[in-house]
Amino acid sequence: MTGLAVDDAAWASAWRTRSPVDKLVLCAGLVVCALVLPVWPGGVLVALAAVVLALGPARVPARTFGRAARWPLAFVAVGALTAVVSVDGGLGWAPDAAARAGELVGHSVAGGAAVLLLATTTPMTDLLAALRRLGVPAAVVEVAGVTYRLLFVLLQSLTTIREAQTARMGHSTWRRSYRSSGTLAAAVFTRSFDRARRLQEGLAGRGMETGLRVLPESLPSSRGFLAATAAGLAALVTVGVLA
Amino acid sequence: MHIAEGFLPAPHAIGWTVVAAPFVVHGARAVVKEVREHPESTLLLGAAGAFTFVLSAIKLPSVTGSSSHPTGTGAGAVLFRPPVMALLGTVVLLFQALLLAHGGLTTLGANAVAFAVVGPWAGYGAYRLARALGAGLLPGVFVALALADLATYVTTSLQLALAFPDAAGGFAGAAVKFLGVFAVTQVPLAVGEGLLGVLLFRVLTVNARPELERLGVLRPAATSGDVR
Repeated sequence: MTGLAVDDAAWASAWRTRSPVDKLVLCAGLVVCALVLPVWPGGVLVALAAVVLALGPARVPARTFGRAARWPLAFVAVGALTAVVSVDGGLGWAPDAAARAGELVGHSVAGGAAVLLLATTTPMTDLLAALRRLGVPAAVVEVAGVTYRLLFVLLQSLTTIREAQTARMGHSTWRRSYRSSGTLAAAVFTRSFDRARRLQEGLAGRGMETGLRVLPESLPSSRGFLAATAAGLAALVTVGVLA
Repeated sequence: MHIAEGFLPAPHAIGWTVVAAPFVVHGARAVVKEVREHPESTLLLGAAGAFTFVLSAIKLPSVTGSSSHPTGTGAGAVLFRPPVMALLGTVVLLFQALLLAHGGLTTLGANAVAFAVVGPWAGYGAYRLARALGAGLLPGVFVALALADLATYVTTSLQLALAFPDAAGGFAGAAVKFLGVFAVTQVPLAVGEGLLGVLLFRVLTVNARPELERLGVLRPAATSGDVR
């Protein structure tokens, strides 16, 4: 595990230069529709819209999108099965189990696709800037920003150290694997603190007094995009409620 | 494993968000205050968040066959205290939802209650209790991490049972089902996370003593090499 595929997709996406607020409005709308509209046909249309928008205009690689969906799908499958199994006097299916399971899976797939559309088109830094504008305290956004930027360095360290441990038979048995994992976690901890201290010293040397200021990138909102979003969501709701 | 996007019905999603909000806001206030008094803490807290995220990316060999991941919030609760973990845990959940597609946005509140509030508090409570009863640092760390891990999954199971009561058995019946699937299978992994914590802190007491003293986990007066 080195880079994060979803993050790579977000930076490379054709929608990268769109305003994060525009994309947030679209995806939040889709997420809400997925949650409250009946699965047929509303939820199915939400899922279709999210996938078509991601793979079409946003040009997210289909492979990345599909791979990212695997984990949530595993949870949804196990969770939905557990929800519709009845324990009343031995294992059995609850009444209308198939319909209920279908409904659960439908809502989750539609919602998951809508969140993934946001995740694969909007880098975290843009989202954090948008959160700041929505009133989240600057200190919190800055801590989250440092977390985001340190993630990749630490994940890289994790991979490198693990590789070195494996090459030295560090993961050949269970016992060694636990030992190595403990050392690995400790190494990541000391490295994260060391990084933070060195960054802090560097910034202090450059006169940091308040906050980590970076030049905000100007990503203007598009009226056309917002109008199309409003029209599309309205159509979804109409079809979802009437049908 | 976090509750996936769209899995919880809207009233539950909203309800859990309301439950999580005061803890997260309290954590945010603590962070804002800390950063105002010590601007350099921004980087340290960011590092703590990144550490929590990366800790959950470490694979542990597990009894059930497949490899599994620690939650990482128990270690965070011992190192950085639960109020801060409520915020850092929620930030980590947001990143997991948007960078790994684990969890979701409407289920962020429910996941935050399990992962960033109940887990850290259960772990930290167990840690304080163990230390108060005279246990050393390492046994304290073991119960803290194991309990934080287990409490997280028990909470998730109960949240699911509340949302999807069994047709015949109601909430209790559903709780048995979900606990069986999500929490009982987690017991060996919780023990595994506890062991990982012991190994982690054993290395840290030797290699990262100043950091632990700074965080207040170890008293500066203790002589070096004293693991207790």
